[in-house]
Order: sequence, then C-alpha cells, then structure tokens
Amino acid sequence: MKETVLSAGIDIGTSTTQLVFSKISLENMASMMSVPRIQIVDKEVVYRSDIHFTPLVSKIEIDARAVRTIVEQEYAKAGVTPDQVQTGAVIITGETARKQNASEVLSMLSGLAGEFVVATAGPSLEGIIAGKGANAQQESKKRGATIANLDIGGGTTNIAVFNNGEVIDTACLDIGGRLIRFSGDNSKVAYCSDKMGCLTRSMGLDADEGTPISHGAIEAISQRMAGILEEVVGVVPATGELATMVTDKDLKRDYAIDYITFSGGVADCITTNCDGNDFEFNDLGRFLGRAIAKSRIFTEKQVLESAETIRATVVGAGSHTTDISGSTVTFNDDALPVQNVPILKLSEEDEAKPLETWGRTIAEKVEWFRLKEEHQTPALAFKGFDDISFEGIQLLASAIIQGMASVMNDKVPLIVVVECDLAKVLGQTLKAQLDFKKDVICIDTVKVENGDYIDIGQGLAGGKVVPVIVKTLLFGY
Amino acid sequence: MISEDKIKNIIAEVLGSMATGDQASPSQASPAAEACEELCDLTAVDLKKELQVPEPANREAYLKMKATTPARIGIWRAGPRPLTRSLLRFRADHAVAQDAVFSNVSDEFVESMGMFQITSCCKDKDHFLTRPDLGRKIDDETIATLKEKCKQSPRVQVYIADGLSSTAIETNAKDAYSSILQGLKGHGIETGTPFFLKYGRVPAMDVISEVLTPEVTVLLIGERPGLATGESMSCYMAYKASTTMPEANRTVISNIHKGGTPAVEAGAHIADIVKTMLEQKASGLDLKL
Repeated sequence: MKETVLSAGIDIGTSTTQLVFSKISLENMASMMSVPRIQIVDKEVVYRSDIHFTPLVSKIEIDARAVRTIVEQEYAKAGVTPDQVQTGAVIITGETARKQNASEVLSMLSGLAGEFVVATAGPSLEGIIAGKGANAQQESKKRGATIANLDIGGGTTNIAVFNNGEVIDTACLDIGGRLIRFSGDNSKVAYCSDKMGCLTRSMGLDADEGTPISHGAIEAISQRMAGILEEVVGVVPATGELATMVTDKDLKRDYAIDYITFSGGVADCITTNCDGNDFEFNDLGRFLGRAIAKSRIFTEKQVLESAETIRATVVGAGSHTTDISGSTVTFNDDALPVQNVPILKLSEEDEAKPLETWGRTIAEKVEWFRLKEEHQTPALAFKGFDDISFEGIQLLASAIIQGMASVMNDKVPLIVVVECDLAKVLGQTLKAQLDFKKDVICIDTVKVENGDYIDIGQGLAGGKVVPVIVKTLLFGY
Repeated sequence: MISEDKIKNIIAEVLGSMATGDQASPSQASPAAEACEELCDLTAVDLKKELQVPEPANREAYLKMKATTPARIGIWRAGPRPLTRSLLRFRADHAVAQDAVFSNVSDEFVESMGMFQITSCCKDKDHFLTRPDLGRKIDDETIATLKEKCKQSPRVQVYIADGLSSTAIETNAKDAYSSILQGLKGHGIETGTPFFLKYGRVPAMDVISEVLTPEVTVLLIGERPGLATGESMSCYMAYKASTTMPEANRTVISNIHKGGTPAVEAGAHIADIVKTMLEQKASGLDLKL
C-alpha cells in the first residue's frame, strides 16, 4: 500500500525564483503482524520550473503580484492545481529574506500554495535545506563523514555542515555572484553591495556604482571572494575580512571537514566548463565560479559532486522539508493543519526529575514563555521514555494538564510532541483526563528543540501519520 | 641448545610485554565492559549500545547502525571465533529465553491484576510443552467456571494467557491491559470479565469465544522467546471467533516489549483496532486497517 503525496517547493531568492513539485511516497514498512511503521520510501522531483529572475519593484522590495503570476504560470505548465498539493514549503531566502515585504509575498501566495505550504526564511535554515537538496546530508550519512555544503547564490553563500546525517554547524556569508553587477556594456559597476564595497576597499580597489572596472579587477575581486570561502572552510587561516563578510554567524571550525559539495547558481560555473559569454548576466558569477575551481578548496579537500546545483534550495524545500510522525499518534483531523507553533521543550535535567514535579516545571516554562510571546500557545515537547508504565502515563498526562493549565483555555488544540513511541497512549490519556472536551494532538518520533517552530498537516496513509515540518532556527541564534 | 638463562630471559621478556599490553587494554575497553569487571549480569548490558570493535574507523556511525538493530553486529572476534564475552552473552541470552519458557506466571501477579485463573487441559509445564493440542483446549469444568464467573456476550472479551513466555506476561500484560481498557472506555466500548489462562495456546481463544460469545476476543499471550528478548508479548484478536474459523481471521500485533512497541502504546493501538473491527464486523485478512 504505497501512497504518494504531492509536495511543492517554492524558493524566492535574491536573484531567482523557482518552483518544483515532488512526489513523496509513503509505505508501511512493518510486517503485517506488527504495529504499522509508515516511512518515506521515495522522493522524486516530478516537475522543475524555469528559473526566473525574482521580480523586484525596487532594490529592497519584491514584486509580490509578479511572483504570484510566475507561480500561477508554473502551476498551469505543470498541470497541477493548488488543491492537489498536500505539503511543501515556500521559502524566501538570501538577501531577499531581509527585505521588508516578505510577509506580503507570502500572503499573496497563500491561497495558491495548497493547504499545507508554509513560509520560512532565515539563512541557517536555507543552508540546511540547500544541503539536503544537494544531497550532502544523505551522503554524509552514507559515508559516515562530515560534509560541508556551500550554497553559493546571487546574494549569499549559505553553508551547512552535516556529520553522519545530522546538522552540526551553519554559516552565512555575503558572498554571491550578483553582489557586483555591471552596466550594459560591462565597462562600469552598476551595483555593488555595501559588504562588497568593504571587501574591494580592503584590496585597494574602488567598485562604487558608476566607476569603470577592468577585466583584471573583476578577476582579482573574484579571487578574493574565493579566498574568503577558503578561509571559512579552514584551508587557509581566517582574516579580518572573513568576519566582515559573515552575515549572521561564522562556522565554528572545531571539527574536521571530510568533503565539500557546492550548490547554488555559482556552483554550475565551478564544476562545469562555463564557456561562452562571461557577462551573460552582467555579473561576476562566472568569474567567481572559476576562481573557486582554482582555489585551495579543490587541492586541500575532496569535492563531491552534488545532486543539484542552482535548484538545490528549491528541491530541498520541495522534497526534504516534510517529514512524517510516528505511526501510532493521536489527533483529530478537523483540528489540523496547524502552522508555526512554537516549541517549548523540557531540558534533559527537567526530564530526569520525578514525574510528580513535571507539572510545576512545565507551568514555570509556560509562564516564562508567555512573558515573551503573549499571544502564542506553545506545543510542549520532551523526549519521553521507552519504558513507561500505565501509571507513569497517567502521572505524565496529569502533569502536562497541570503545567499547561494557563494556556488550556486558548482556542487551539493541546499539542504535545515526543521523541519516544508513546503518543497514542499519551494522547488517549490526555483526552480521557480532559473529559474529551479538548482537542489533543499528540505525535511522536519527531525531534524538535527549543526555538523551533512546527507545522502539522492533516493525516496521511489512512490517518495513521501526519506530515510534519520542523523549522529550525536554532543555528541562527 | 638454549641455556636455562636464555629461556628465563625470553620468559621475562614475554611477561614484560604482556604487562604493558594489560596496561593498554583498560583505555580501549568500552565503559559498559569496565562496569562489568566483577561478576555481573551480562544481559544487563544494552547490546545496541555496546561496540566491541577496538578501533572502528567511525565509532559514531557504527553505533548509529547498532542502534537500529538488536542483531549481534560489531562484536569483534578472536581469530575466527567470537570473543569470550560474546559467547557468554549468547549463552546468557539463551538462558533468559529458557527461563521465560519454563517459569510460571505467579499467582500473586494474577491476583494483582484482579483476575481469576483457569487452566487448559495441560497438567504441568512439561505436559504443556509436549502436548500443544491440549494447550488449545479447556475441559467442561473450566467451561462451567467461565460461564458462572464471566459476563455473557460482552462486546469485547479481553483475557491473558502465559503461552511460551511467562516473563513477557509479568513484564507487559498489566500496562497493555490497562491501556486497552482506557482506550476502549474512551471509545465507549464495554468489556467482559477478564481472567488468566494457565498453559494456554492461541487457539484456546476460539473455544473461550464460543463459550462467552463476545463480538471481539482479545488475547494477550507470551511469545516464543528469541535471543533478542524473552519479554516479547503478542496480542491476538478475532471478530466472532470460533473453532471453525480459518487462521486468517486472526489479527495479531506482535513484538510488544520495551525494545519493540512499548506495552502502553501497543494497548492504545489495540483499542483502536478493536474499534475498527467492531465497525467493520471483521478481523484478520478481512479487516481493512
């Protein structure tokens, strides 16, 4: 009984806007004689859109209406209607994410993007999504190695480092192929980002808008940019300029990187021979690509081919953001979907304490959470126990109800997310203890951390599992 | 000819090198192994977390793989043979399995469950193990007891049998049973009078079902233990079970133990399956889950 889910990925980046549709196949992998274990068995990209330039009305504002038109056209070309799309993600990435009207764009797309498609942004998450799209995560798991994926786009380089399939570090740099753009005849600088201005000045070059620029200078700037990437992955010592070019945070560099993969638009110019017009897009993308190919990253590290280059982020968004819960969970379909629910997780120390004290611990955390986020109701998360008695479950449920008392009257379901396999019995117990008067969503086999947000979609595979998107902001702060 | 002195020297040299070898070993031994220096229960060590390969290229990846299976991987070797530790563990696990089969579910346990006890047509454990046919039957006297003590024609009859692992029952039956009852109550489904069947095999549920005529019969029974665990319990269910129904009418949930599906979670799942059975009036292969 294979079931497929259609997932959409829409990436509105600094330079390009893209869309993909993926088919995610679910199958019960347990024997007929066991409790079901539904797993994602296959992910296949079934439609890749053209790569569009992101429409802007000004330097800092996205043209939301034009984005909608692009998306509508691509839906039509793919022969997909919004109601067919069951999950997925819209992400606004790169420099664009810092632009002011991101939320307007998202609301413009909301009706189009199906029931469950959600909005996320933030450089760490983008790097992680791109790393998954480029296959760096899966490869690190397969090889049992540490792999850093560098997603080099028009405006930023997002780096995610995976060890045995887990994200261990992220970084974002203002290094991109379109941070300097040229005039129509490519003799002058038409645009130079502030950070690039700093970098060129440190080299004694002037790249302000309107200044004439030579071929040699473009090569030199590209080499310096490639040099910053050498620094960030640790093949040469870090300089002050690296700190300047870092957007949010640098890599920790306290672990060994075994392999490097490249994705993003610039990656195409690294790995393939980009002959032809170097100035096709009036920017330094191809120069940067060539400079990276000649850099010490290639001599000092082993570079692996990535599964996707310019489409890594959008494929990651379409195919790799959705996960599924465990197969024995508790939920009411009419209470779903829920989106952007903040996670409130108990620490290991909290969990080590006796269950009798949990109620107070949870209540304190909820109170503290409410001080910061007055109007939001958090989902309670904890690891749980592999070996818990029925009495233990009863104690646990009453502690949760006691602890969540102050948010129990909110007009949203009570949401509990656990790692260990106990969501069905815990959900049933919570419902029973609440006299079946409150909607309870209790899911398991999902790992979340404090600061994450979670989306939960409607039931799949005959209502056994729910699709889950965990939006990690952890590495960003 | 080697002189006596020379031999002495060689022995001293060998002993010296052995001593340094001994010094090196504790740092290589896993923490689990260190905790077991004294005579201790080998089966208390979690195999999924114990890696005996002395210098793995990637310990973390190896342990991740081990965490997914109770199979004996990463146990290293001495020449072509297993390490003494592995061999002893193998035999210890086998002993656990034997204990699970040959021990009895205690009367105290049955009492603590608030259940009364009946026995199949087997006289003792040996009889039970050698005569599977008798473990499937109950005599007329027992049938009379059932009729006298149990509610007739409940919607759901739940009972427990020892089967091939008393350990499984003593470890898991209570939590699973409580969880099933809570789930069924939540669905508004009434249950009959529970009891414990000693020396019981699965098909005894057919005989019992014909006596008590519930719509759905639910049996919690100890599974034949293996080397991974002796604590595994199964749940057999059937809609309007009878001695003439085909085996294919049974629905089974196996592998209920802390390393498989936890008993409380399995109970909650079983309650939902029973609800589906009542809705579809079917079980086994006829049931669409």
